[in-house]
Amino acid sequence: MKRKGRENVYLPLSADVEEVIPLTPETSLFRVRPEAAIEYSPGQFFMVSLWGAGEVPISVASLGGGDGPLELCIRRAGLVTGALHGLEAGDTVWLRGPYGNGFPLDLSRGRDVVVVAGGIGMAPLRPLILWFLENPGAAGRVTLLYGAKRPEEIVFREEMDGWRERGVDVLLTVDTPAKGWEGRTGLVTALWQDVRSDLQKAVAYICGPDVMIRAAMGELFLLGMPEERIITTLEAHMKCGVGKCGHCYAGPRYICTDGPVFSYREIRSHSHFLTG
Amino acid sequence: MRNEWILDKNHLSYWLRQLRKERELVGPLLNGGKDIVFRTVEQIHEIVLDLPASLPSPKEFLLPQYEPMLRLDIPSGEPGVHYRAQPVSPDACVKGSRAGRVYDLAERRRRIVFGVRPCDVSAVRLLDRFFLEGYRDPYYEQRRMNTLMVTIACNNPDPTCFCIGLGTGPYLDGGFDIQLTDLGNRYFVQAASAEGVRTVKATSFLFRRPGKADHDDQYEVILSAKARFRKRISLESPRGMILAGRIKDDFWQRVAARCFECGGCVYECPLCTCFTVTDRRYHGGIERARLWDTCLFKGFTRMAGGVLPNEKRMLRTKRWYYHKLIHYPEVLGGFGCVGCGRCTLTCPGKIDMAAIATAMKGLDLDGATAVVGKGRQVGIGEVMRRPKPEETGAGPEGEG
Repeated sequence: MKRKGRENVYLPLSADVEEVIPLTPETSLFRVRPEAAIEYSPGQFFMVSLWGAGEVPISVASLGGGDGPLELCIRRAGLVTGALHGLEAGDTVWLRGPYGNGFPLDLSRGRDVVVVAGGIGMAPLRPLILWFLENPGAAGRVTLLYGAKRPEEIVFREEMDGWRERGVDVLLTVDTPAKGWEGRTGLVTALWQDVRSDLQKAVAYICGPDVMIRAAMGELFLLGMPEERIITTLEAHMKCGVGKCGHCYAGPRYICTDGPVFSYREIRSHSHFLTG
Repeated sequence: MRNEWILDKNHLSYWLRQLRKERELVGPLLNGGKDIVFRTVEQIHEIVLDLPASLPSPKEFLLPQYEPMLRLDIPSGEPGVHYRAQPVSPDACVKGSRAGRVYDLAERRRRIVFGVRPCDVSAVRLLDRFFLEGYRDPYYEQRRMNTLMVTIACNNPDPTCFCIGLGTGPYLDGGFDIQLTDLGNRYFVQAASAEGVRTVKATSFLFRRPGKADHDDQYEVILSAKARFRKRISLESPRGMILAGRIKDDFWQRVAARCFECGGCVYECPLCTCFTVTDRRYHGGIERARLWDTCLFKGFTRMAGGVLPNEKRMLRTKRWYYHKLIHYPEVLGGFGCVGCGRCTLTCPGKIDMAAIATAMKGLDLDGATAVVGKGRQVGIGEVMRRPKPEETGAGPEGEG
């Protein structure tokens, strides 16, 4: 839904907070219902705001379609997200969007899929997995490689059990195991050999911390996955979401309007994307 | 019939008074006797036309330094509104039920900006593409629709001007609303936009059609203006050198070492558009406004959690020049510079666009190091100075 014409793109809609579900000590899932129905697709994001605190880009964590609530998975990280964490059911948030290109969903048709997520990087990838579950013909085998710092920081852990039952290979790993942790320990990029798909023929969707994205993309490319099938979604500081404020400008592109989803091919041709 | 007329100079102030009946009149004024600024004209005789470039550029009438965007009115006593004292903090935001109404604060004042330079009008043509393509920016659009610009061709370019090398001045063939060329006792008037033509025709009794002598005089005036430029700078060769990989990072390192991060170049630049958005609270409501921001500031790209993607000053400086020299032409079809010379006036480190373009020209194929290695000083000299060993790696931010 690109709002063009005479409408004010900066004007947010109000949305009722229906439920706030804590996922980890710092992360909660916000179920909100906008005043008007909004269509969106996996990988897109909304500018979410609280009057008096400000606006932040938040990727959508629900699949959309139907009449379910819009879900936003938000980590307490700064002023606005801190303020959002003060909300309870019955409060109001404001949002505008969706913005961004979203994931290329047709890329996975007839191919196995590897979803690689780190920490809260699971949020934009969750609707993708839900989409594969709802559309069995959309992809072959789906494998989720998920890494978190500690077991208690795994988001959507119970939901992942459900995904496993529905045929998704879910492989979890943590940096620092706690007592009772029976999963793997170490980096998510150490799990390639456990993937039961042929990586050279598969598609990868990656999101997580900058270093993780870079490592995962580079290694998958080395393992023979073509660079146009290594897909990631980037985050950046944004003030407008519509390609005007300049904050997410990377080379000739804007992460908000040209992305946030890019292939490794696009990223490699613009070294500006991943700095440092 | 071409849209060309002659306006006797004696009729100028009368014409402006007529224009002012429909619109707010803005023109170049001497503020406090020193600063050259575009402000609302109270007394028409206060307009000074033979002045150097204004600071900032007239972009402030299309993208003001502070622009209110939206306002949420909060009815007092509304239950569920948590509305506490300043400063803005997580506790001070509005959590409540659908409290209050949101108002669009887009400015719709009709305005005429008189005495704009051709370079600034050239910049507006790119700003139009930037703000109105893709998602349309409603605030820019409203202001643009309601602003008429009267350009005066530059017969006396400033020593800092280099529009002539970019084709953005000192005289334009099109793209303006109304352009005046000073022919001594009269103005040669051209209108290019529909609104410009309409505006002239509304007071057509003040104008007459030009004769051969008028055309000849205009031609002569333009030629002699073009001869007056002291700076002959092309941005094509710096662009070509960057694209050819001839400008290495040590060049940007030395440029960045002179950057004060004051943001002066960005604020004065008619083509810098970055802004930040902030919520400000006042009695009875909250205002969401945008303010000029600059990619040269370290915190510009700071993400939640404190991640700074552009931590090195060198990368930020380089990015600014890349945006203007490489990406602007790639995306919008013109350099992100119109040669107005304002950054030359404001930059305390003397690393303005003209200086950088000149410095690059002095490079040989091996890039900055080779030139400096031979002890040659090129361009503005100190930009090319090789940093002493203790300077490298021990900059303010530990760059090296």
